[in-house]
Amino acid sequence: MIHLIKLEWRKHQMWRYFTSFFFCVISIYGFVVLISLDSKNDIDAAMGSFHEFMTPVIIFSNITFIIFGSVILSRLIISEFRTKTMEVLFTYPIKRKKLLFAKLTLAYLFTAGSLFAGIWFMQLITYFLQPSLGLFEGTVSFQELVATFPKTVTNALMMGAIALIPLFFGMRKKSTATTITSAVIISFLVNATVSDGGATFSLADVVIIPLILALLGISIAYLSFRNINVKDVK
Amino acid sequence: MNYIIQTHQLTKHYAGKPVINQVSMNIKEGEIYGFLGPNGAGKTTLMKMLLNLVKPTSGDISIQEQPIMASSYTYLKDIGSLIEYPIFYEELTAQENLKMHCAYMGYKDQNHIKKVLDIVGLQQIERKKVKEFSLGMRQRLAIGRAIVAKPKVLILDEPINGLDPIGIKEVRELLVMLKQQYKMTILISSHIVSEIESIADTIGVLNDGELMEEISMHSLRTKQQATIEMVVSDTKKAKRLLEEDFNANVQIMDARTLIIQQVHKKTSTITKHLIMHDVDVDEVETLHQSLEDYFVKMINGRDQYDSFN
Repeated sequence: MIHLIKLEWRKHQMWRYFTSFFFCVISIYGFVVLISLDSKNDIDAAMGSFHEFMTPVIIFSNITFIIFGSVILSRLIISEFRTKTMEVLFTYPIKRKKLLFAKLTLAYLFTAGSLFAGIWFMQLITYFLQPSLGLFEGTVSFQELVATFPKTVTNALMMGAIALIPLFFGMRKKSTATTITSAVIISFLVNATVSDGGATFSLADVVIIPLILALLGISIAYLSFRNINVKDVK
Repeated sequence: MNYIIQTHQLTKHYAGKPVINQVSMNIKEGEIYGFLGPNGAGKTTLMKMLLNLVKPTSGDISIQEQPIMASSYTYLKDIGSLIEYPIFYEELTAQENLKMHCAYMGYKDQNHIKKVLDIVGLQQIERKKVKEFSLGMRQRLAIGRAIVAKPKVLILDEPINGLDPIGIKEVRELLVMLKQQYKMTILISSHIVSEIESIADTIGVLNDGELMEEISMHSLRTKQQATIEMVVSDTKKAKRLLEEDFNANVQIMDARTLIIQQVHKKTSTITKHLIMHDVDVDEVETLHQSLEDYFVKMINGRDQYDSFN
């Protein structure tokens, strides 16, 4: 299994996505920092705490990396069906389910991993930049930083699974465009925030909703290749 | 002789219409089986069925005496294949593509990759990305990929498409070499009949999804007796002599030309016989029917009526 994942990594030259990863992280962080610096003198809009500063960072990261995940799914699975390299793969003495499972695992781990690493990296930078830039009111201690760890992990694991939902739409017509479009819609729906000025509400805040969606993502991933052994490859 | 691939009443329907219809074919171990048929006859579909990429509607396949089920996959380790257009990972080089193939096939000998690139004539450009390759180069690489893991069975669908005449000759020699040196069984399809004629041991003719004939080249050659064309001084007398004395089937073409069929005597004997009976023979030509004529006749014989409707 690990052997198959490694082969997928090599075959699709996954290291090239590290550049995209850094580009995403820098853009998200730059954007949020600009907002915070701009609103510093505005008493109403100023960011009150570390948590308030990190909320947009997490929302933007979730959206970005769900779409990022769909790009990887498209490359690993959808485009292999489109270009018919999947047909070549299925002439190897390896169980088809195992081949696809390796691809899904890689896509999942890569998405969840980069989401976790991205958010964690941005939190760490904030910790070092806060004293000099004053991105929000107050300070952040190292303990506070460490305390966010479990939440960051669960968030990454759930969002990684939600990122598998676009597979369902993409596999119907083996379309890369559909996969990515549906990822955009899903990511915005899940992470959208409704605010009446005082209280805010986001679907992602009610833990049960992303949890259900995450389970849905995993089931869809499973259903998309449940019958692969007995189907004609087209 | 053992059969390495056998199908029994193999049928595939697409949207209710048969694409492959009750095909029972038998491929002997170590032979080159030429698969002939016009475009759209179902050659590719049948080959995909052998690789389990397309599942039969009914009928059975057995390869190396193992029945092939919908979920069978271990038997694929002994099969090298090239189906339709050669497909690769475009971003990888020729060498990387072959390495990847070996890794998936579980074949460890890395030195053999270099040797194979050499055999198919791609040693100069092994580090070039496949997306920069021409069709001919892709075809060569695809043949290389099919043989690199030393399979027992080679399934090649139109392997000479896009190759230049030198390439075609090289592939032909390569296939014969693989058969002789590595005892590979080769199933090769083509619509270019003359290419198959020179190397195949057995041919199968597929038309409209049906296997019309499966015959060894040896018995095909014996079956196709030569036709002799003669220019003589007296056609009527010659016809009578040949019919009475040799029991031949003779047709008079024009005032001086005869066509003689089904004669079991040597040409020299016939000529001598005619001259002894005062019939002058000016020209003698022996016409061999090629596989191509045979093939075209077989396909047309069936379709002639249909095509007028």
